[in-house]
Amino acid sequence: MENSAIKIVNLTKKYKSVIAVDDLSLEIKKGELFGLLGVNGAGKSTTIKILSGLVKPDSGNAFILDKSIIKEPNVVKSFIAVSLQETSIARNLTVKENLDFYASIFNIKGEEKKRKIDEIVSQFNLNEVLNKRAKHLSGGWQRKLSIALSLVSSPKVLFLDEPTLGLDVLARRELWKTIKELKNKMTIILTTHYMEEAEALCDNIAIMVNGKIKDIGTSNELIEKTEAKNFEDAFVKIAIGGNE
Amino acid sequence: MKSINRIFSLTIRNLKEILRDPLSLIFLFLLPLVMLVLFYFLFGNLTIQFEIKYFAPGIAAFGGAFISLFMGILIANDRSSAFLTRLYTTPTKSYEFILGYAFAMFPIGLLQTILFFLVSALLDSTILSWNILLVIVVNLLVTMLFIGFGVFFGSLCNEKSIGGFCSILIMGQSVLSGMWFPIEGLSKGFITFMEVLPFRNSVLLLQNIMLGNGEYFKPLLIIIAYTISIFAISIFTYAKKMKQK
Repeated sequence: MENSAIKIVNLTKKYKSVIAVDDLSLEIKKGELFGLLGVNGAGKSTTIKILSGLVKPDSGNAFILDKSIIKEPNVVKSFIAVSLQETSIARNLTVKENLDFYASIFNIKGEEKKRKIDEIVSQFNLNEVLNKRAKHLSGGWQRKLSIALSLVSSPKVLFLDEPTLGLDVLARRELWKTIKELKNKMTIILTTHYMEEAEALCDNIAIMVNGKIKDIGTSNELIEKTEAKNFEDAFVKIAIGGNE
Repeated sequence: MKSINRIFSLTIRNLKEILRDPLSLIFLFLLPLVMLVLFYFLFGNLTIQFEIKYFAPGIAAFGGAFISLFMGILIANDRSSAFLTRLYTTPTKSYEFILGYAFAMFPIGLLQTILFFLVSALLDSTILSWNILLVIVVNLLVTMLFIGFGVFFGSLCNEKSIGGFCSILIMGQSVLSGMWFPIEGLSKGFITFMEVLPFRNSVLLLQNIMLGNGEYFKPLLIIIAYTISIFAISIFTYAKKMKQK
């Protein structure tokens, strides 16, 4: 497991009669930007919720940097960060106060806190909105802040659950640039419905259907495998094939 | 130490969220203050209810009921947004969340009481005595009771229903405390009903300390019992909802 950031072993989660994650096993390498794709209800978000400690699995286990999410959830929580589908910011706090707040939650103090916040402000170009209350920011800025907050704790593994959902093309491209800059600095697991996003950003992509991984590979490998014209067609072929 | 730092950060965040909302300032401070002044000038000389020495403690307890409302709204909004969900992925524990919410409300409760008694003293300087200081301290217990109600309703309700449920509590504090009307004309059964609930006892507790008549032991015990019970239920409800999330 030396080179793997995440190892998922036979993970299962049921909601009443619906199997959201079905005996899932997967290994993600350190430093990789890994895409989880699937139609609605495929189990992407549930997988992320289990890995980030929000939901307990019914069976199976997962190891993040060799630590079990079941036996050592608090240790896991200290080196992961999550940016959820919905923007998760304190609306009445300014951008700077939001960054400060998250740093304090992870007990980052004094000079280290100042250095980290300065670094993130410069990385995300937050200077122009630093003293604005979060609720007055545009959707794009709010999402950018939401992702910026995930980085305050210098996570080793970052989960991005549909980070560009609902953003316009320009804001989405801007965010892609930011995500690309994070590549190789940490392991990133990204879920998305945008095929071009997965193609542009991800090193490897897993396509989930009915809680299981139907296929896995680079976007080119998946196109070749399915003999599709483009990645979107490849995705459709794999996703429909899984329902048959 | 890490836990204390996290509780402190949550407290500061929650305090800022509430104090930066103009509506909360109006209901927590302005509305009770306007009622205090208005009813004193309209009826202060007509009925004993609105003499400052009786009415000011009533307003202090009444103001506390709004703490439940804004505490509940903050928790319900945090629960329904992704804000809390993200915090659940950090090492923050459920008791740290609850204490962060509760501690944010203590300075507000303290500020309310000081403000209400300051204005009361301006209206009627004869109430000035050392007992006021004791009332301010004991009102922190009443504040705690309402914080408990706020955590409970905030954990149980969503952002749409929280207003309705807390309005019932505010109505309860208003009507069942007996601060607005003499209770002598009410039926014995109804008076007993009022006396087993915390609302009338919160007012009696503060009034009796203010008057220095020594009859505060029973209401004090009742308020302590309710505060402990509501906090136990709130912690259980919050932790359960946190797990469900």
